[in-house]
Amino acid sequence: MQLNRLAWKNLWRNKRRTLITGFSISLGVFLSVTFTGTGDYTYTNMIDASATMGLGHVTVEAKGFNDSPTLDKRLKNTAKLRSEIMQLDNVSNATVRIMGQAMFASASKSVGGSFLAINPTTESAEFNLLIRAITEGEIFSTNDHRGIIIGSVMAEKLKLKLGKKIVYTTTDVNGDIVGEVARIRAIFKTGLDEVDGAMVLLPIDQVRKTLGYTHDEASMITVIIADQRRAEEMSVQIAAIINNDEIETLSWQQTQRDLMGLITVDKTTNYLSQILIGLVIAAGILNTLLMGVMERTREFGIMMAIGMPPSVLFRLVILESFWLAILGLIMGVIITSPWYYYLYYIGLDFTEMFDEMGGYSAGGVLLDPVIHVRLFKESIIAILSGVFSLTLISGLYPAWKAVKTNPVDTLKTI
Amino acid sequence: MRALIVSVALLLASITLPTGAVTVQPSDASITRAKEILKGIDDLWRGDSSHAIFSMHVRTEHYQRTMQMEAWSKGKDKSLVKILKPLKEKGTASLKSGKHLYSYLPRTDRTIRLTSGMMMGSWMGSHFTNDDLVDESRMEEDYTPAVTFEGQRNGQNIIEFALIPHEDAAVVWGKIIMTIFANSLLPIEEIFYDEDGVETRRMTFSDYKVMAGAERPAVMRVTPTDKPDEYTEIIYEKLELNVDLKDSLFSINSLKHRH
Repeated sequence: MQLNRLAWKNLWRNKRRTLITGFSISLGVFLSVTFTGTGDYTYTNMIDASATMGLGHVTVEAKGFNDSPTLDKRLKNTAKLRSEIMQLDNVSNATVRIMGQAMFASASKSVGGSFLAINPTTESAEFNLLIRAITEGEIFSTNDHRGIIIGSVMAEKLKLKLGKKIVYTTTDVNGDIVGEVARIRAIFKTGLDEVDGAMVLLPIDQVRKTLGYTHDEASMITVIIADQRRAEEMSVQIAAIINNDEIETLSWQQTQRDLMGLITVDKTTNYLSQILIGLVIAAGILNTLLMGVMERTREFGIMMAIGMPPSVLFRLVILESFWLAILGLIMGVIITSPWYYYLYYIGLDFTEMFDEMGGYSAGGVLLDPVIHVRLFKESIIAILSGVFSLTLISGLYPAWKAVKTNPVDTLKTI
Repeated sequence: MRALIVSVALLLASITLPTGAVTVQPSDASITRAKEILKGIDDLWRGDSSHAIFSMHVRTEHYQRTMQMEAWSKGKDKSLVKILKPLKEKGTASLKSGKHLYSYLPRTDRTIRLTSGMMMGSWMGSHFTNDDLVDESRMEEDYTPAVTFEGQRNGQNIIEFALIPHEDAAVVWGKIIMTIFANSLLPIEEIFYDEDGVETRRMTFSDYKVMAGAERPAVMRVTPTDKPDEYTEIIYEKLELNVDLKDSLFSINSLKHRH
């Protein structure tokens, strides 16, 4: 305890230096919080957006569908599977869907695209981005077999409006070409041309009939969970309750590889730059601590001459860096909090810049032009312990240097 | 009425005009009469099998090409078309068998079964879609015909029909207006409208001459209304009806063989 007090007092022998060092530690906290916080927020946002665009956080599908999605691969007993999944904790929503490719034609043109056949009773705007993005009209009802919801870009290409008919052609389970007519009940606009121009929503019962599926067959069950970080764990849990070799349960990391790749790359560069900043800051701390030790060699010499063991001296210097780290973290929290709350509630608005670029999307999802932050608990722990241990490690060399002091040498000089 | 385009384009002989099976909308009498006339045309054109040589001239904004083709057909759902000229593409073939369409490229020696995604694509670069070639047998179920005009127009006796697709029919058009000569019952023109009544495509027939023992239009031209400078024209050079054709001709194997 004596040692702690001594270390604390030592720290304040040069107030300005200690405060400047503390400030550089807190700057580390600040930068780390900004980078990690925007990352945590943006990734969660992108993952959730992507999940609600069709495949969910966890997808239950027939074996092999993910690698080659053909309509002959299909899930059976979908209603039962769905109700089993819905009973799990953390599952926000599970929906039975059919996904496939089709051609969409109007009198003036035809375009290729993909359809997502949905059951309107289990879908909602909250868990389906396309429904959330509806700008005109309303989702088809359960017994509306001729309903279709298309994107604004496709509507424009095909010169179609609400209520007009559109013919879609696809291949059924036998490989025969089948065509159906549908009427546009709603038009959505997500802002992503590749979605607005190629995705449509169809009523699942009609699609089952068209494709030759039975009323309990579908391509997949997509599961939306409350916390995207638990996707892999949930995927294992769902696979366990299904317990069927013919059925694959995949997390978004497997079904949405583009996004996964993008996030991995972004995360890696983010961490790398944080490590670099950390090293620069650590070098600064090391420098200050070392200076503090060097100018006190005489003092250390006396302490050792009057009987202080080197191990205690070592501990003293480490304790100094410990208290410096604590001080730095407290300062860090103080200067970062207002900034964090600003970003959390208001955010940085890049709307104008994004508009100039005509919207900005990555990995198949539209990015929110207002950048917010959000920190996961584990990120907070990682930042605090990271900065803390960095400071402690910086103290190791000065401490060792202090121990190496030869009392005789230091006392010889005046 | 893609049925007509297809049939005329490909086979000329085995056209299946819509004979309409459903009632409603206009007066029953008009429908019955329309059906009768269309049936007459149907009978006039139908052959059990056909063999034809025709050239196809495609003109678009970007290119212009002329091809000569040979075609065989049997019944409603079997047909084979092979390119004779230009030499570069000789042997390229399309086979229709039932609801399937196959394409063969001699250069790569590959047979492709066209998937639904390719059905709306252009057939050999023309203004016909692949779908035009396949879909014909359903036409009679898909439309309700009615006579909308009968009498003199431009100094000629004509009959005009309106073909209205059923609510549930997988048809992109809002309606089709077809005019034929009242005397010979030969087609003059077909106009395709979208649901708002805007014309989108027009098909005209001309150069009526005797082929395979009866008078028929030898030239047929399709023009997309929004690009009036573009068209695809089919000109018949030779036509034989009711020829003896083996079923094996319409197999995937025969795609690769030269006839």
